[in-house]
Formats: sequence, structure tokens, C-alpha cells
Amino acid sequence: MSMMKFQTVERDSFFSRLDFRPKLFMVAVVTIVAFVWESPMLQIGLAGTITVACLLVGVKWSYIRTILLIMIPFYALLLLTHAFFNRDQVMALRGIESVNQLSRVFTFPENWPFIGGSFATWEGLNYGFNVIFKTLTLTLIIPLAVFTTEVDNMIVGMVRAKIPYKIAFIFSSTLRFFPLLIEEFSMIIEAQRLRGLAMEKMRPIKRVRVYAKVAVPLILGALVKSQQLEVVLQSKAFSGSPDRTYLHESILRPSDYALIIFFVLFFIAAFYLLIAFGIGTFGGPI
Amino acid sequence: MPDKIAVFKDVSYKYPRSDDFVLLDLNLEIYEGEFLGIIGSTGVGKTTICLALNGIVPQFYGGRFFGSVHVGGLDTVEHPISAMANYVGQVFEDPETQLISTSVENEIAFALENLKVSREVIIERIPQALSAVRLEGTEKKHPHELSGGQKQRLAIAAAIAVQPSLLILDEPTSQLDPVGAEEVFATAHELNQELDMTIVMASHSAEEMAAFADRIALVSNGQIVAIGPPDEIYADIEILESNDLRPPQVANTFYSINKRGISVPKIPVNLNDALPMLDSLSELSQSAEFILSDPEEVTGEALLSVKDLAHVYPDGTKALHGVSVDIAKGEYVLIIGQNGAGKSTLVKHFLNLLQPTEGVVKVGDVDTEEVSVSDLARRIGYVAQNPDNQIFNASVGEEIAFALKNLDFDDEEVETRTVESLEAMGLTEVRDMHPLALPKGDRARVVIGAILAMKPEIIIFDEPTTGQDYRGAKYILEISRDLHKMGKTVIVITHHLYLMPEYAERVVVMGKGTILLDDVIRKAFHETETLKSTYLSAPQAVHLSQEMQKLNSAFPPLLTPGEFADYFAFEGSAS
Repeated sequence: MSMMKFQTVERDSFFSRLDFRPKLFMVAVVTIVAFVWESPMLQIGLAGTITVACLLVGVKWSYIRTILLIMIPFYALLLLTHAFFNRDQVMALRGIESVNQLSRVFTFPENWPFIGGSFATWEGLNYGFNVIFKTLTLTLIIPLAVFTTEVDNMIVGMVRAKIPYKIAFIFSSTLRFFPLLIEEFSMIIEAQRLRGLAMEKMRPIKRVRVYAKVAVPLILGALVKSQQLEVVLQSKAFSGSPDRTYLHESILRPSDYALIIFFVLFFIAAFYLLIAFGIGTFGGPI
Repeated sequence: MPDKIAVFKDVSYKYPRSDDFVLLDLNLEIYEGEFLGIIGSTGVGKTTICLALNGIVPQFYGGRFFGSVHVGGLDTVEHPISAMANYVGQVFEDPETQLISTSVENEIAFALENLKVSREVIIERIPQALSAVRLEGTEKKHPHELSGGQKQRLAIAAAIAVQPSLLILDEPTSQLDPVGAEEVFATAHELNQELDMTIVMASHSAEEMAAFADRIALVSNGQIVAIGPPDEIYADIEILESNDLRPPQVANTFYSINKRGISVPKIPVNLNDALPMLDSLSELSQSAEFILSDPEEVTGEALLSVKDLAHVYPDGTKALHGVSVDIAKGEYVLIIGQNGAGKSTLVKHFLNLLQPTEGVVKVGDVDTEEVSVSDLARRIGYVAQNPDNQIFNASVGEEIAFALKNLDFDDEEVETRTVESLEAMGLTEVRDMHPLALPKGDRARVVIGAILAMKPEIIIFDEPTTGQDYRGAKYILEISRDLHKMGKTVIVITHHLYLMPEYAERVVVMGKGTILLDDVIRKAFHETETLKSTYLSAPQAVHLSQEMQKLNSAFPPLLTPGEFADYFAFEGSAS
């Protein structure tokens, strides 16, 4: 059976042909803008655009769906906490002085124990949506950049972008060895099941304790492997010094410059509209 | 005499936090263009010798180092490891951990990039290196997509791309199946013969070392105790045995014959050298005392039954098709076949770790799909290759009791079974020790003891001999024999066929996801064409026996050097 690998898109696209540096720039701009914007509508638009871009460049829907499924409980919790408890922040952002001025969406009957009388606000709910789509954008922008780039090009792109070579090397080694660690983890869990451990019948807390026990052989194995890796690296004249040559080149082409210019303009426009017209603020025009 | 390429002079070395010297006053000269084999049991210092050749010992490890090692005139202590990497290429044991890049071409380029070789030269050298190891066209592949043998060949390609004067291979075949091992030996041989590259290889593969090496250095307790051509070293069976080493079977066969009083002019170490010597043996008569002893065939109701089993993995790989086999209580069955033949997939069905796409697997009357893996563990014990992945507890006693607690036995029963199991495995005295503080062989014993405590009817050993030296492999197989004598049904998967005639009764040969042959070991090992079809080679004693049958049709199908020696009547014996 083939070993688990990190996903790379199979589809050749405008995006997969780009250098990694404009993509890094894109990640930086989108991250900053997503952080700065507080408007749920603009956040929905941004997250939607990134999702569509992911699908167009070949990131598998199954991957996006998995992320959404993992995030749903977290999103539900965010929505509830913001709707019921985020009062001071939304009041400050909207310039509201009294709680009574907030629009109520739902109120628990007064006679209910503990939660009777508490209410969800439309403003809190809106702010919750802002946070949810902000995190979705930040979660999906990474695969959009990483999955569409060969690891080799990523390393050279990172080094050319003045990221220290050691960090770039650690990044590529993680991509290479993390699947090995996952496989080892599965083998250890399998070995425990074969020693009568019925994971399927266990309560979550007991299951966590079992996973903790896996740490012993896993850490031991990782230590052995990391020492072997160090010896291998030494034998291949690795010193971590950036003073080395590279097989792969990182050359910026017109399409790369076009993407950089597009995101420079997007960045300027986003900040201009935010400062001049309040577009992007919570409760602003959009 | 060719020039010396490497010289060890009075080298002694002690690893940090170690009480003993791993190398002790070691002297060794390696000559340009030779293929030097280094042999010795585990822990005698073979790997340390390899690591001293590029300065990793002592520069990386530290410790106490005396004497000197020069490679190409450079002192390996005075020159940085990165400088030594220009002269010495190294290939390690584990194909997984030594490939560090995410593509084949990047793997080859990595050392060249570190050595600041220009991009243009790197681009030139990649196809050259791949061509030398016959991996052309794989440049863009991820190393995971390669087979075990291909991975080791890629590691060789990465090492030779630097164009080193010396190529060191440290146990490069111990994790590989026979096909992979053959690929690696053939590649090393070609590099030595065609490119005149000096090769130093540490290996336990006696037959291959005898065939390919120019000289063999036998290491014991950090010293070279014997060095010479293979037909001198491998013919000295006493010295090999006293160092827990396995001689090539052909050498062992003629040594045993000689020891029985039948004069042999010379002990051959290669099969081809032995064949002309069979003529004189064929003239000898059979000893009256010789009886071909085969274990009694075990019959009875199937304890493990597989019917029309097929398995297709989610990615569409058809791993098994039309597999039917019955294993009766008390049998000792060997399952063999090349990697990818379907052995592990079949065994995972026994354990319900995989479910059939078609067909049925039953343990007794129970369909394995209908019981959980943990419940099935009461009936089938599974010993995986690496014992360290199966140790989770802080003491040997707790490790043995681990499964019993999982299976909800009461405290009294847990204690009784733990004591029984500790006694059966000879572990009573180390009950309170941490399992990882024990030697590897004893750690395997702990794992087997933990499985034995569940009192399973069937015990499966999956590749127990891989990565072990001769002594380690025999140690585990002896345990398997003891369990068999206790009435357990034993199933062993291994590539090391030469070890098995003393243990196994029946052989299931698998190839391309199906059963090619299922017979008693004496018949199965003599079906050499079927074995060849799944890239397995019968032990040399079998080949010798078949050659004898060509000269004397009444010659029996023998399996071991011992049987060979016992067959002939010697002076003073009855014929």
C-alpha cells in the first residue's frame, strides 16, 4: 500500500506555473486584509473567492470538505459565543451605548434554569460570521499556495525570498518525514489493538490515555530516526549554510509580476476604502 | 599491488558515555579499485569502521579516538566531514531514513548543492548517476514511489554523483527482499568492475559477499581478526562459527562432508566452484545410517481457513485474488514470496486488520469479519518485525500484563498468566526492568511473552529475521520452535529461506497476489522454477542436491548442509 503523502494538485494551471514568491506575497496580503476587515459580507466574499480559486487550481473538494467538517464544531461554538456573549466589542464597533439597542434574534424564556433570559444578538451573530469566514480564508489560502507548488520550487522560492535556508530545509524535511511518523503512529496503534485493546469500545478520555502511551515508542522511534538523519546529512556535506548552489531556479516571469502587482493594488485599494469610506469595518457601508 | 586509498593505523575508539572501546588498535589498508567486504556479528564495530572513513566518527559523535584514518591521503580527523564528502560516498541500511528529498533528482543533487557544484554540472551528473544504477526516467518521481531495491540504488546514485574515490555501503541489503538485495549487489559489482570504483561493504549476506568481494575482513571486538580473499575466509568455518557468522551454505556443506571423514581437496565458497567437485561425490555410496527425516504431516480440521479470498485496496490495487488455504492446528507454516506478492495482505485478513473484498476467512468456525481485532487477538498472536514498536509499558511485567488487562481478566488470572509467560520466556529475573533497557533479542522475547500470555492458538511472526544477524535470527526462530513444541500453530513470513528447513514443515509460496505453491518444505524448496518466478532463490544446499540428482537419479532431495554430509558413507561407516 502506498504511504500517505502531502497533497499536491495534479492539474496544471496558471497558478501551478507561478513562482513561489508571488504566492508567498499573496498569502501575506490576504492574511493582513483578512485580519483587518471586520465586515462579514466582505469576509464571505474573500473566503468564497479563495475557495473557488482552490477548486479552480485543482485542490480536491474532498480536502476542502474535510476541513469544513473538522471546523464545523469550532464554527458553531464561535457563532454561539459571539451571538450570546459578545456585547461590549460589537457595541463599541457599532457605536451603540446600551444593550437594549442591540437587535435580539432569540431569547430564552425567563423561567428556564441557568440560561433563562439570555439572548442572542444580530450584531453578535454578524461578528461571529466575520470571525468564521476570516479563519476559513486563513485556512484555505495556505493550500492554495502550498499545494500548487512543487516542494523543490518552494525551497528555492523561500531562500530567494530571504527566508533562512535552515528554515526552508526544516520545512521540506517535515514534508518528507511527517508521513513516516504518521505511518509509525498507525503501526503502534495497530500493535496495541492486536494486544487486545478495543479502541472502538473506549470512552474518549480512555482513548486519549491510550494515545499518550503511544508516545513512548513513537518518540523513541523519532529520536532514533532523527539521529540517523543527522548522520546521513553529515555524510552529504550538509552544514545548514545558505552558501550552496541549487538545482532548481527561481525566476520571476511576467505572470509572477502580474500577480504581485495585482495584490499590491488590492492591498492599497483595501486600505484606501477602509480608511476613506469605512468599507471593511464592522457595520460599515458593506 | 594497487595504491592504498584508505589506511587505518592503530585506531581505537570509544563512543561518548560508553565504557568499552568499539574499535581497538585496528589496522586496515584498503586498496584502490577493490571490493572489500566487512563481516562480523552485530555490535563488533563494522558500522563504526564505515563511519570513521568519512570522519563522522569521531567528528560528529565525539568520544575518545586514538590512532589515525587517512582516505586519499587526507586525515579524517583533521578535515571537516563536508570536505571528506568529496572523497567518500556512503549508503546506509535503512532505505527510508537516508532519502531526504521529495524527488529523485533532488536526492542526487542534494550533496552536490552542499558542495557548491554549479547547477550546470549538477544537471549533467543526474542522468549519469541514474544511468549507473539503472534508474533512468525516474527523475521526477517521489522516492516513496520506488521499491526497496530502487530506493537503495537511488541512495547509491546520490553517493556516486559526487564522484567519490570510495563508496561505502553499510548493510545496504538487510531490509530488502531478495530481488532488492540482488539489485544492490549487482549495482555495486558493476560500479566496481566497470567504473573501477573502490567499494567497502558491510553485510551479513554470505553467499553474495563470497561471489562479489575481492577481500573479506572479519571484525571481532573492534579488531580485524582475519582478512583475505573470500575463498580463504569463508572456507574457515571454525572462525566464522566462533564469531556467530553464517558461512555460505556451499562452504558449510563441503566442510561438513570433510568433517565426516570424506576428503575434500578444497572447501568451495561459491556454487560454481562446487559443481565440478560433485563428480567425485557422486561415486560415493549412501550411508546405511542415512534416513531422510521429515516431520509428520499434520492433518485434521482447519484452524485457519481462507476460501476464495480477494482483496482490492481503495486505490484499485488488486493485492489478492483466488486465495484458498487451510492451516490445521499444530502446523508450522512458512509463507514466502517477493515484496508485493500478497503475504502481508493475507496475514492482515487473518487478524481482521483488512476485510475481504471477496471470499471468507475463518478462525475455527468464526468468520474473522464478525469479531473485533481485539477479540481476535485472544486467538491469534502477531509478532511484527520491530519489537520496539510493540513496547508501551515501563516494566517487563506490565508489558506482559498489558493485553490481559485489556481483555478484562481478573487480577488473579492476570498475575497467574504473567508469571507463566515470564517463566516460559525466561524473563522472570527482569520482570521489574524497563523493556527498552534490555538487548534487542530480549525485547523480542518480551513482545512474544506478552502475546503468549493471551494463550493464542496461532502465532504469526512477520519478517522476524529481517535486519537481524545470524545469531539474532536463530534466537527468534528457536523461540518459534519452542512455541510449536508447546502445541501452537506457527506461521512465519521471511525471505531468509536458508534458515527455515530446521523449523518449518510446510511452505506457502505466493506471487502476484495468489498462491503459486503449497507443499511440504522438502518438495516446495525443490520447486526452484516456481520459487524463481516470485524472485526467490532456494538455499545452495538445494541447488547442490539437484545437481547431484543429475549425476545420480537416486540422490534424494536434500535441504541442508547437514543432510548432505550425513548422506555419504565415509571410510569405516556402513554403506
